[in-house]
Amino acid sequence: MTTANIAFPAQAGTANPDVTVIRHTGSSRVAAAVCIVLLIAMISMPWWGQSGHIRWVVEFSVYLAIAQMWNLLAGYAGLVSVGQQAFVGVAGYTMFVLASNFGINPFLAVWLSVLVPGLLALPTYALLHRLDGPYFAIGTWVVAEAVKLIVLNIGYVNAGSGMTLRVMSQYTLHQREVGIIWLCASMLLVTVGGSYWLLRSRHGLALTAMRDNPVAAESQGVNVRRLRFLIFVAAAMGTGLAGSIYYMAQLRITPAAGFNPSWANVCIFIVMVGGVGTIEGVLVGALIYFVADRFFAQYGAVYMVVLGLMTLLTALYARQGIWGLISSRIHIPLFPVGRKLITPSHSKTGGTP
Amino acid sequence: MKWLDALIQGVLLGGMYAQYALGMALMFGVMRLVNIAHGDLVVLLALIGISASVAFGIGPLPLVLILVPLAALIGWSLQKFVLNKVVGADSLPSLIATFGLSIALQNLMLEIWSADTRSMRGGGIESASIDIGGIYIGLLPVLILVAATLLTGGLDLTMHRTRFGRALRAAAADTEAAAMTGVNPRVVYAYATAIAVGILGLSGVFFALRATVSPADGPAQLIYAFEAVIIGGMGSIWGGFVGSMVLGIAQAIGFRIDPGFGTLAGHLVFLTVLATRPQGLMSRG
Repeated sequence: MTTANIAFPAQAGTANPDVTVIRHTGSSRVAAAVCIVLLIAMISMPWWGQSGHIRWVVEFSVYLAIAQMWNLLAGYAGLVSVGQQAFVGVAGYTMFVLASNFGINPFLAVWLSVLVPGLLALPTYALLHRLDGPYFAIGTWVVAEAVKLIVLNIGYVNAGSGMTLRVMSQYTLHQREVGIIWLCASMLLVTVGGSYWLLRSRHGLALTAMRDNPVAAESQGVNVRRLRFLIFVAAAMGTGLAGSIYYMAQLRITPAAGFNPSWANVCIFIVMVGGVGTIEGVLVGALIYFVADRFFAQYGAVYMVVLGLMTLLTALYARQGIWGLISSRIHIPLFPVGRKLITPSHSKTGGTP
Repeated sequence: MKWLDALIQGVLLGGMYAQYALGMALMFGVMRLVNIAHGDLVVLLALIGISASVAFGIGPLPLVLILVPLAALIGWSLQKFVLNKVVGADSLPSLIATFGLSIALQNLMLEIWSADTRSMRGGGIESASIDIGGIYIGLLPVLILVAATLLTGGLDLTMHRTRFGRALRAAAADTEAAAMTGVNPRVVYAYATAIAVGILGLSGVFFALRATVSPADGPAQLIYAFEAVIIGGMGSIWGGFVGSMVLGIAQAIGFRIDPGFGTLAGHLVFLTVLATRPQGLMSRG
């Protein structure tokens, strides 16, 4: 394997030792502070918040996490999946089986359940990676449908009627809320925080290069094939984690719900309408989706028509989504992953946006 | 006898899938584009057909004469006003655009026709069958298979024998070089999609006569078309036809083993082909 060998601009600029690399802005420091405050508010929520609002936070966190995983796939690895529900479902079912049938502590079972979507991702990728972009996408859908039909035929997990997480009744409501909200906070740290850390690290340069031009990235020593594979597996595990937590909060899972293609809708809508290839975009998209879902879901089909049309219009007229429209007007990066070079004579931008 | 019957029913079922696969293979071959709303368009046309047949009391044949031009017009407009804006080397925009369209269409149909299943009356043709040595062969499925064969052969001839077919192949092979020789790729693309969706006008009537239709049936049809194309081998028009037969047989045999196993058997055959012969059954090499 060839490692991604990229010279850092600051290190390369030995001819001009006064060059400094800026990695944060005022807006990003504010954003980081706000995130820390929100995270503290979140983990203390069971002591001050209402149960209904805690459920909202759980739901929002799940959307955010699976959308960010899809963002890594589509936005950086160029792998468009419409079958992420496969990983949501298998992780959820694994957690239910581990907790109900094997007596493993459910809060531990959530973390263990992530292994199964990771394992499922291996043959899925091995089979599908040969397919060209659009066919890869539909291929992931077929895998999700096949897994759903297999689960529907397994009597051990009650086939079509689904499973109930009765073991949760050993905990009080308060204990459950603490457990789930802390799981959610950890999930956000791993998925969204992990993505941010990854993109700011040395590997982030390779990912961004791959996003912008896979062929050029390959010629610069980025092992695109390996990176794509690793992202596919990591995204499957992250998506699975979110799925496990979601169905733990629901206390019930069925094949129709766990493997529902609407999980793919959620990912695609949030990332594309919010802004693909940025963490800010996912945040904006998740907020829009969450609010729209709260207020307009009662209008059923009409609401889904509007969501579908918004996705279509974004693809036609605003490829970078709402965050792209915002950041083309005002420069307030909240989660900057690029590097800005400042030279004493004149300041110029360098690195990646 | 039971398995021979399954084999025959599978081939007949494949005739339906072959019609969907034809348009998908054509669009992918020419533009490297997959229309995720492909299956939803079949369902839309089938539902329009059912409503029209009820409202105006017209039979299947006049309906075909109305629906096919309507479908071709839908396809042409879809390409001209939507897909031409997203076609290109990057497959993300076209996937997202057609995905959004698919969600919008499914829910629009749900709003108009509700979630009920419907089906079309064809004046006896839908239930007529011939008894050959104890195996009942439906007249309609045979008609569907004959239509699929003629369409596949016709498209193959068009691609290789006509000026339009040459323009299509030129635009597929090298868009810029084709443009230099006077082929306008966008115009060619619009005709290709008009053909792909136009075929669905016919398939829509067959679908409505053969089975019950509900607004949520689109994705399954898309997946069958896709599986047929991959099983048969991309880049070959007859490949999709052969793939459809294989898929139809797999599903029919699966249903005989266990009713819950039919569709899954099709998926498993698809995955097996992908694992062992990823270039498809019909592809050379």
